[in-house]
Amino acid sequence: MNEFSRRGFLGLAGAAGVAGLAACAGTGTAPSTGSGGGSSNTIEFWSNHPGNSKPVEQQIIKAFEVANSGLKVKLVDAGKNYEEVAQKFNASLAGGQLPDVVVVSDVTWFNFALNKQLSPLDELLSTAKIDTSDYVDALYNDYNLDEKHYALPFSRSTPLFYYNKDLWKAAGLEDRGPKDWDEFLTWAPKLKAAAGSDKIVMELPDGSNYLDWVFQNMVWGYGGAYSKEWTPTFSDPNTVEAGTYLQNLAKDGYLKLSKDPAPDFTAGIVGCSMMSTGSLGGVAKDAKFPVGTAFLPGDGNCPTGGAGVGVPANISDDRKKNALKFIEFLTNAQNTVTFTQATGYMPVRKSAVGLPEEKAFLEKNPNAKTAIEQLPKTRSQDNVRVLLPGGGARIGKGLDQIVQGQDVATVFKALDAESQQVFDSQIKGKLGA
Amino acid sequence: MSTSTIVGTVDEEKTPPAADRRRRRRAAHNVEASTHNRGPVWTAAGYVGMVLVLLVVAVPLFWILVTSFKERGDIYVRPAQWWPEPATGQNYSELTTRIPFSDYVRNSVIITAATSLAKIILGVLSAYALSLMRFPGRSIVFIVVIAALMVPNQITVISNYALVAQLGWRNTYQGIIIPLAGVAFGTFLMRNQFLNLPGEIIEAARLDGAGPMKLLWRVVMPMSWPTLVAFALITVVSEWNEYLWPFLMSDDESTATLPVGLTFLQNNDGVTNWGPVMAGTVLAMLPILVLFLFLQRQMIKGLTAGAVKS
Repeated sequence: MNEFSRRGFLGLAGAAGVAGLAACAGTGTAPSTGSGGGSSNTIEFWSNHPGNSKPVEQQIIKAFEVANSGLKVKLVDAGKNYEEVAQKFNASLAGGQLPDVVVVSDVTWFNFALNKQLSPLDELLSTAKIDTSDYVDALYNDYNLDEKHYALPFSRSTPLFYYNKDLWKAAGLEDRGPKDWDEFLTWAPKLKAAAGSDKIVMELPDGSNYLDWVFQNMVWGYGGAYSKEWTPTFSDPNTVEAGTYLQNLAKDGYLKLSKDPAPDFTAGIVGCSMMSTGSLGGVAKDAKFPVGTAFLPGDGNCPTGGAGVGVPANISDDRKKNALKFIEFLTNAQNTVTFTQATGYMPVRKSAVGLPEEKAFLEKNPNAKTAIEQLPKTRSQDNVRVLLPGGGARIGKGLDQIVQGQDVATVFKALDAESQQVFDSQIKGKLGA
Repeated sequence: MSTSTIVGTVDEEKTPPAADRRRRRRAAHNVEASTHNRGPVWTAAGYVGMVLVLLVVAVPLFWILVTSFKERGDIYVRPAQWWPEPATGQNYSELTTRIPFSDYVRNSVIITAATSLAKIILGVLSAYALSLMRFPGRSIVFIVVIAALMVPNQITVISNYALVAQLGWRNTYQGIIIPLAGVAFGTFLMRNQFLNLPGEIIEAARLDGAGPMKLLWRVVMPMSWPTLVAFALITVVSEWNEYLWPFLMSDDESTATLPVGLTFLQNNDGVTNWGPVMAGTVLAMLPILVLFLFLQRQMIKGLTAGAVKS
């Protein structure tokens, strides 16, 4: 140990330095043969197991491997939510070793599609002779960019109107949801009187937790929109009216925002809320009172949500073909029923509702039935929320300001300007390219 | 790990017997009390403050513990239940059936032990070289190391990912461990510690013919234990809780660590059943808590080392 000469040490230090420099040169030297690593008969499926669905996913995968001998599916834990899957996918785009199938949410798919990192599926679908008309239209068209589809619907949810039946009874209301938001306003004082001072009539998620998603319903209910195609329409008088309605609900003490309304609702301190269908199972299990569900107020005003599955662009054609085979299997009528019954998501196929096991399930779960009957009345969300980078967060922040009492017209005007600017600088040039 | 034996020996050599220590502490307290000469009001206020701080720290921990023994329907109720009624161990059994909990624990232990060991060894050796050995370019090397400290690891993640993926190391232990093993922080901390050691002692050791390794092992290290223990503890805790990198690298339970595994108990779209999540949190905290209690005295000594000039 004592023979640790100075020269030897310097040599070592030099060697370490060179190794360090070499280590820095990580990016960009991936073998870019278009294969992106991976073998062609193992399908890597990157999923965040939406709605704790890992056991169901494994069950479907097993059935797929039995039906397609020679193909293997490797299920990868790719994150705890859609954003983390997007992050991991992003990292893999820089470094090779791409997955074959990846879960992309309504908000994350567009950026990947725009930058040509996801494959357009239409050509692959027609070569494989897959009939897409059986997919629920609003869900299928959510992944449309320039008349090409970049994902197929997988774990799709919509908001539902949840209400506490005990409170409804105490307030002397009919056992149903409001027809529209004007009717709700006539109900609100009765509900408040019945609820007492320590309870809240309605609680919604705040602006950083998808208020902008459920508020989409109010906006459409008043004939407004976040945008028409790519033109933001926050300043539209109808949109402003919806914003004012939201503000008045809060001003009159009927509405509270929170990070997650589900715990308060299940604890019985909140009369009603708009939450994802994904919460259905959990709320029904936890609540100690009868839970009622209804369509969102209005007709055909329910936004879609959730995630689909896509195929990376930069993998070999063989892998793409296998990936599509797996996606078709994962989302076919039988499996979408298996998957959605275990999780609370919506079946993505029209024919799924006709299957006997789905009929039996709906018989037993009237609340799930509400969600499925609402499905044909869904509408794809406005571009400015789901497709503009940071759109949801930007609108959510504006809505938070409105609820806190800032002038609606001013806030919405600023949203118009900001959204337009983001579109001009980040999207416009890449569209149709 | 070798640290535990090391701590044992230090305890024997350096700390006076318990009774003696207590006496000294009481004496110190008396001196302090007499100089300040506080009235009973201030003393009471002091205790109230202490209780408040204790509550702020302890209530969330207590809540985690209590919730982990509750039945699902009792978690969201008003008024809140401060004691599980009826208590159930079901969350703990669900924890082990719903996710491969023991696999995650094994991975966490292996990865934390290996990375911490690597970091500590690298940190001590590089700091030693940069503080007590003389060679050309020493300060440049040091500046480069410090510069590395300034780059948050979120930024290097992408290029590290590319490199490790090309080596085919995704979803392997070495893929997770090696990129995490670099230690600018340790180098910095230990170097400052070594520079503060009295030069005369080192000079004397050199005159007595101690070589570099002997100097490090017999002279420098025994005087630096508290700092080293603090560094080791901080490293172990942060490695145990490390999330981003293990998450990006691991594909399944063959390499994923506890913080990654526990997230699969949460429902990302819907209502989470918090019972098992809390049970998992309790079990994930325990090893670190035990380690912390074990090394606590050393750690506090280490953090205040150099704060007072003797």
